[in-house]
Order: sequence, then C-alpha cells, then structure tokens
Amino acid sequence: MTGIFWEISKRNIRIHMLRSSLAMLGIVIGVVAIASMGILGNSMTQSISASLSSVGDSVIVTPYAGSGGMGPGGGGGGSSSDMYLTDLNYQKIKRAVAPNVAIPIMSTSAHMKVGVGSDDIVASIYGLPTDDTKTLLPDLEAGDYSNGNSGCLVGSTFAKDHNIKVGSRISIGQDGEYGTLRVTGIIKERGMSFDISTDNALVVTKDWFENAFDRSDDELSEVVVKVTDGDTADVKTTIERQLNRNTKDKTVTVTDSKATLATIYETFGTVTTFVTAIGGISMLVAGVSIFNIMMMSVNERIKEIGIMRSIGTQKKEVMSMFIYEAAIIGIAGSAIGGALSLVGGYAISILMLKTTEYLFTVASMMSVVEGVSFGIVICLLCGIYPAWQAANLNPIDALRHE
Amino acid sequence: MEPVIQFKDVVKVYPLRAGDVTALSHISFEVERGEFISIMGPSGSGKSTLLNLMGCLDTPTSGDIFISGIGVRNMSDVELTNLRRDRIGFIFQYFNLFPLLNIVENVSFPQMLKSQKQVDEKKAVEVLRAVQLPDRLFTHTPLELSGGQQQRVAIARALVNDPDILLCDEPTGNLDSKTGASIMELMTDLHRRGSTIIVVTHDPHIAEYTDRTIRIVDGRIAE
Repeated sequence: MTGIFWEISKRNIRIHMLRSSLAMLGIVIGVVAIASMGILGNSMTQSISASLSSVGDSVIVTPYAGSGGMGPGGGGGGSSSDMYLTDLNYQKIKRAVAPNVAIPIMSTSAHMKVGVGSDDIVASIYGLPTDDTKTLLPDLEAGDYSNGNSGCLVGSTFAKDHNIKVGSRISIGQDGEYGTLRVTGIIKERGMSFDISTDNALVVTKDWFENAFDRSDDELSEVVVKVTDGDTADVKTTIERQLNRNTKDKTVTVTDSKATLATIYETFGTVTTFVTAIGGISMLVAGVSIFNIMMMSVNERIKEIGIMRSIGTQKKEVMSMFIYEAAIIGIAGSAIGGALSLVGGYAISILMLKTTEYLFTVASMMSVVEGVSFGIVICLLCGIYPAWQAANLNPIDALRHE
Repeated sequence: MEPVIQFKDVVKVYPLRAGDVTALSHISFEVERGEFISIMGPSGSGKSTLLNLMGCLDTPTSGDIFISGIGVRNMSDVELTNLRRDRIGFIFQYFNLFPLLNIVENVSFPQMLKSQKQVDEKKAVEVLRAVQLPDRLFTHTPLELSGGQQQRVAIARALVNDPDILLCDEPTGNLDSKTGASIMELMTDLHRRGSTIIVVTHDPHIAEYTDRTIRIVDGRIAE
C-alpha cells in the first residue's frame, strides 16, 4: 500500500518544485553548517593530537615560579625562565620516581651561524645527558646520535629552514665564542610538546652545555620524567609530596602531560560542540521552514484528504503520505548537504588548518553522518505534527472545505 | 433478504455553543438491495446529515444504523473506514478525483486501499469501459477531462470495489442538463444491473429516474 501514497507524495513535491526546493535548500545549508563545523573541529583536534603525540606519558618538573628559587645570579624570585632546579632537587626527583627515568635538562638560547658567512640566527639549545638523549628523543629523521662532545642534533624545521644536513657545522655565539658543533643527526618533527620543543632547536650534550655556558649541575632548567611504570598522576603526586612539602614554600611545579592533554582535548571538544551547535541553529531554522511548508501542504489538500478518508483511507495512511513528503525533502536535502559538506569541510580545512590531511578520517566522516542524520530527523519531526493534523481532520469538514 | 440500509429511530444532534441543533429526529427507514432511491428536501432539512450517516462518515447520537446488517453505532474509526472502503461507493457533486493521479490510478485507488498492495489495472480498465469512458483518456489526469467525463471516472472509482451501496451527492449538480441526463442514464443502467443507488438531490428531474423518493423536512421524513 506504501506505493500509491509514496507516489502521491513524490508527485506533490514535483508539482511544487520551487517550494520543495527552497525547503530542501534550508536542510542543505543546515547539514553543511553542522557537518563542516564538525569536520573543522575534528580536524583541529586531530591536528593538535598529532602534534602532541610525541609527548607520551611524561611528567615535567620546573622551578616553582612563585618561589625564591635560585637564579643565575643567585637572586631569588623572578620568572621561572631565570630560575633553576638544583642537583639536590634532581636527585630527590630521581629517587622519588624510580624505576622511571628522570632526565635533567639545561636550556638557553644563543646566537649561532651555519657555515661561513651565513646570517646570525638565534635559537634554543638544550643540554641533555648523552645516555638520556635517546630516551627523550627516540626518533631521528637522519644521521645518528652524537658520540662525542662536539656533536649535536638539530630539529627538523631548523634543519629545513637553514639548509642544514648531517655533517653541517654550526658555530655557537656571535663570533663563535662558545665553539663549533658538527650536526650528527636531525630529530624527527615532534610538533608542540610539553617537555622540550626541538623542532627549532639544537640538542647538545650536557657536558658541552655546562662547559660552553658555564653552568653547574645546580642550574637545571627542568627535569622530564618518562613514566613507564605506574600512572603519570601518581608520579606527579609523589614528586609534589617529596619536593613541595610545604604548601606555602613550593620548590617545583609539576605538570602531568596526560592530564594537560586531556584538558586540551576537552577544550577542543567543547569548541567543536559549540561551533556545531551554531550550525545546528541553521538546521532548526530549516526545520521551521519544513514545518511551515508541510502545514501549507496540509491546508491546500484538506479537500483531497476528505475525499481519501471518505472512500476508505485510514488515518495512518493519510499520515504516512505527509511523512513521506517530509522524508523525501529530508533525505534529498541531507544527502545533497552531506556531499556539499565535504566541499565545505575541504575549504575550511584549507583556509584554517592549511591541510586536508584530516578531512577523510573516521571522526570527520562521522560529522557528515551526524549532520545528514540530524537533517533527516529534523525533517521527520517537523513533518509529524502536520501529518497528524491531516490524519485527524474530520472527513465531513474536510469534504466541505473549499 | 436483509435490507442493505436500515435506520432505526435515528437522532443526530450537533452540540453548538449557541445550543444543540437537532439535524435528524427519530428517522426510521430501510433500503432494500437493488433499490434506486432519491432523497429530496430543502436546504437545511437534514439531507447531508442523512447522507453522512448512510456513508458511515458520522455516527448517530441515538438510534441504530445497519449497513448490510452490520451495526455501525459503536464502531471505531478504523472499522467505519473499512466499512466505507468495502461496502460503500461515493459519488460527489464536484467529482473529487485526485489531480495527482491519472484516470486509471484514480479508479484503482480504492482497490489498492482494500488489497493493501499494488493491483492489476485490469479491473479499473473494465469498470472505466463499463461507464463508457474512451480508452484514450485512461492515462490523462482528471483536469484534462470534461465534467461529464470526470463524473464517469468518479462513478467508476465508486464501483471498482463492488460496493453494496452507491451514495450520490448531487451527482449532476455540476453538469449541464444534457451531460447530467447521460450520467443519470448510466446510473439507471447500473441499477438495472443490480446496483443499490441512493441519490441525494434537490432536482425533481433527477428524482424522476429513481424508484422511490424519501423527502426530508426539518430533520424528519415527510410522508
């Protein structure tokens, strides 16, 4: 029986093509808005996720910014950038987190030149114990880890920007006063990270760093704990308990990368939901338009409904006819919207993220599915009341309707 | 043989804000199978209410109505709808065909309602030929047909499920006299072949085609 009512619904849409197309257009816009925003949100989350993937499970310990920690000149206070952790701090951390590895890191920024006659560059330099370099930076793009003191690793972006290859020489200091380093390896791109940002930096041995910049073991910039045993939250608590015994006199700030990541993901999730909800508003407007058109359709066909009912059409069959009409508009509009949202998602990804790498991922495609489903559901919901009203018309009154 | 329509002391009251209006008051009559009856009366006499009750579009306030022996007073909407579909054929003054369907589809529509599936168009074509509609018009839409042709299609639609009763509401009211006469001749022919036909009209010429006339005045049958 579905056949004849489905056919009537199709033909009614066809004879009111302009009106139906406009209703469909509303749904198309709604689906495109929801799906494109969803694609953008998911792409952003995945993009951030990819750039943070190298962080892994680590806990970062830095000097407490509010403490009177020791500065380069022995003074207290100031920002955390000119404050250090002492070797005693490091030993305590090391003991507290065992068997996890605690890596002491020194850092500074310095002028440097690549080759003879090149421009002066300012970049970050990290000093790491030779044994721990591989633990913290396990992936190299080219070359190998440094065996001696005069070797260094460089970040991939730094290497690309300054045309540095394995074997290139970099003189540190404005006039090379800190010495010259030979590039032994190029570190694979790590993106944004909580421990050290190597993409635009040099990594040298801790011994070389101490000699070149006249630093002692009591001048550590941070300690990174690679958590392989236990939970990062537990490690964080342990360190805080050991080093920040007194809440008024804190020594260190401990950052749990996992918890920070979770917060970032949560924030991006909220942003995605928010922008998708904005798209949802256009869908609601489209729904109102569908509702209006369905009510018009019912009002125009009151007499037809009266005839149908008088010759033996059941209420549910009249209802189905209008539901089919809403469904046709919803399915067609949502399908077109779904296809166009891929184009919209592509355009937004290019404009905002400069990449379409995350366009065809499961999460992004789910946004399209959600947009299309929402479009169909909205159409059906907006068709229910008009359909119900049509089905419940009094046949006698409907027959008399002019 | 039991009557095809039986009204027993039927009262129909419409409750309105200004007060109840009694449209039909204690009506009793019977229509035997194969009869050709006209119902006449002035405007507001209760003709339409009587037609609605006979057509199971409405239920009485009191009294009993039997269609082919089936009491309709306590029937649900679904049961009344099925009764209309299976046992009653409606013919309206303004033809009331479905403009979105072609002629054959219009005639097949009640068949599809009854069988709940797509049906063979053979029966619809047969009935359309019986009401003398030219074959070339079968795939046209109603608006492409003349009034007389549309009414023939409406009669074919009413006949397609072999109903017990044909209820006609001013069937010639929207036609010129010549076409109206041809439609009434068709009705007479159907009656001769055994159909039970009830025509509601205010036109005495139409009533002349029928075997018996029931006159309604102020909601009562006038003897």
